[in-house]
Amino acid sequence: MEADKDNANPTIINPSDLPSRRRSAPTAKRAGLFDALTPAYPSLVDASSSPEPSPSEASLSSDEETEDIDEQEVYDLISTISDPEHPLSLGSLGVVKLEDIAILPPTSPRSRISTVTVLVTPTTSACSLTTVIGLGVKVRLVNALPPRFRIDVRIKPGTSGTAGEVNKQLGDKERVAAAMENKSLLNVVNNMLATCE
Amino acid sequence: MPHLTHLATCTPPCTTRTWLSAPHPSLPLLATACADKTVRVYSLQNFRLESTIGGGHKRSIRSCAWKTAGRKEESVLGTGSFDASAGIWRRWEGSGGRRGREEEEGGGEVDFTTGGAGGVDGDEEEDGWRFAVILDGHDSEIKSLAFAPSAPLLATCSRDKSVWIWEELEDDNFETVAVLQEHEGDVKCVAWHPTEEVLASGSYDDTVRLWREDGDDWACCALLAGHEGTVWWVEFEDGNGIYALGEREELGGEQRAYVDVRLKAGARLISCSDDMTIRVWRRVPKERAALPAGQVKTASIWKNRDFEEEWVEEARLPQVHERPVYCVSWSRKTGRVASTGSDGKIVVYEERWRSADGVKNGGGNGDVSMAGGVTGPDMEDITAKKLHGSDGHTGGVTEWIVVAEIDNAHDVFEVNHVVWAPRADKGKRFEDEEVLVSTGDDGEVKIWTFDI
Repeated sequence: MEADKDNANPTIINPSDLPSRRRSAPTAKRAGLFDALTPAYPSLVDASSSPEPSPSEASLSSDEETEDIDEQEVYDLISTISDPEHPLSLGSLGVVKLEDIAILPPTSPRSRISTVTVLVTPTTSACSLTTVIGLGVKVRLVNALPPRFRIDVRIKPGTSGTAGEVNKQLGDKERVAAAMENKSLLNVVNNMLATCE
Repeated sequence: MPHLTHLATCTPPCTTRTWLSAPHPSLPLLATACADKTVRVYSLQNFRLESTIGGGHKRSIRSCAWKTAGRKEESVLGTGSFDASAGIWRRWEGSGGRRGREEEEGGGEVDFTTGGAGGVDGDEEEDGWRFAVILDGHDSEIKSLAFAPSAPLLATCSRDKSVWIWEELEDDNFETVAVLQEHEGDVKCVAWHPTEEVLASGSYDDTVRLWREDGDDWACCALLAGHEGTVWWVEFEDGNGIYALGEREELGGEQRAYVDVRLKAGARLISCSDDMTIRVWRRVPKERAALPAGQVKTASIWKNRDFEEEWVEEARLPQVHERPVYCVSWSRKTGRVASTGSDGKIVVYEERWRSADGVKNGGGNGDVSMAGGVTGPDMEDITAKKLHGSDGHTGGVTEWIVVAEIDNAHDVFEVNHVVWAPRADKGKRFEDEEVLVSTGDDGEVKIWTFDI
């Protein structure tokens, strides 16, 4: 009866049943404002060749981006993250769901900051694994989305008793930054993100 | 209408996140803690990189602080790193060293941009900086550190929930005098009282604690609870902060009583938090009662009661920030407060007498006329009850108002730190003029003037 893993039999969703955008062309890697700089968190991914933008190009593309990034795009970015326990993606495990992603536009005309909120449904009751999953989602989005997005990753209310603790950790930029300088944690996260495009 | 104007961006900027900038206590220099494991020292005269301090830490430098007491000819910088250690760096600034600091008439400019190592141990130095000592002890990342203004003490704090107090002895020896472990979460910041040996710490556990010596041991003398999120920054006002309120021709009874209380209470504390509020706390001064005759046995009880302090939340600044507030800076010269945070705004606030009774606020030379020894019901009310500021709470004798605000100070990036610094560039307009220095996730350190 003792399972090696906390959740030995997760519910798996068929990948073709996952929400996706019908598109003829593959997702274009959009140049971020500061791609030329070291990314906020070191990561194995984002090795795809994105041209380094000149300052004028960068500001042009950021104008286009205002229209383009929607919940589906965010979902596409995170649904392919691997679960740290199972050789399956967060999307197929139902850990991240399209309906649990919300994008809030800038709160005033002078602000250019949008907020992405992602609610994560943990597969296990183990707090540490839930935190790692949340961290993976956060790091993925911080690296992949333009810097004008503030990313709030939270545990879906009602799915975990330790949600408050996990949410507070994930919301603490200092803790997240320090965690990403921790080699073993960085390896775990990079392995999770290795399956992302 | 006052406003902030962007004066300059320090150059070259850092290519990684910058966390904090500390103005030198006497020279026109700024030390910026960078995630690339270095400290960049910029000149406040020409905003160019003057020197880089590196090689001492294995992970990001999160915080740095200058020693304010001590010899003027030597700069001492403390660095706090995610590698759990603190570094002490020294540089000789005297006339025998790499630069002669000559004060010429008419304020001669010293060019700090010339590089080159120098000083006593030339081979081991980089840009004149000598890595003097490494302080190990914390179990996890150091978040902040601060030198005491009038004692040879250094405080460091960490994710390991503790605050350490170190005493500086001779020859680069630092001795641990206290390991304070009462916070229930990471300790994010530490700050020393300007005139007393009292330390404040802000924590992930949403509280602020005050510490001082109880006989020979350091202990917690006050717990300030109320914030609903991590406390990111704490800072005391200047010891003469009461004078920032300006001159008043006539102070009403309530106002005089308030001034009296403020003078007895000492410097107030300001804190900012994940909950997007900025709060001002004030000590409740104790009325010392005489020991009743014949009760010598209870002396220890009296002693404990004397040690603990009561602080109340005096005011909440008007809420402008829409996301966590990472830092506030209380100007030593003007009493103005600047704040910044995740929403990328920089906001400046001023405290004024509440004009409810129709008397105008004063400006001018900062003298506060006081009546002698006012006691009575007014003062009791003010000491006993919580007074809140201008966000709708009742009873405040003073109020805080927003005087300037800027959005997108560092484009779309979060701003981690803001601090007032003495202005030192050619455009300086008057004695004691200050600029605001902001430090952001974009790796940039920006300088702002406050224009009225």
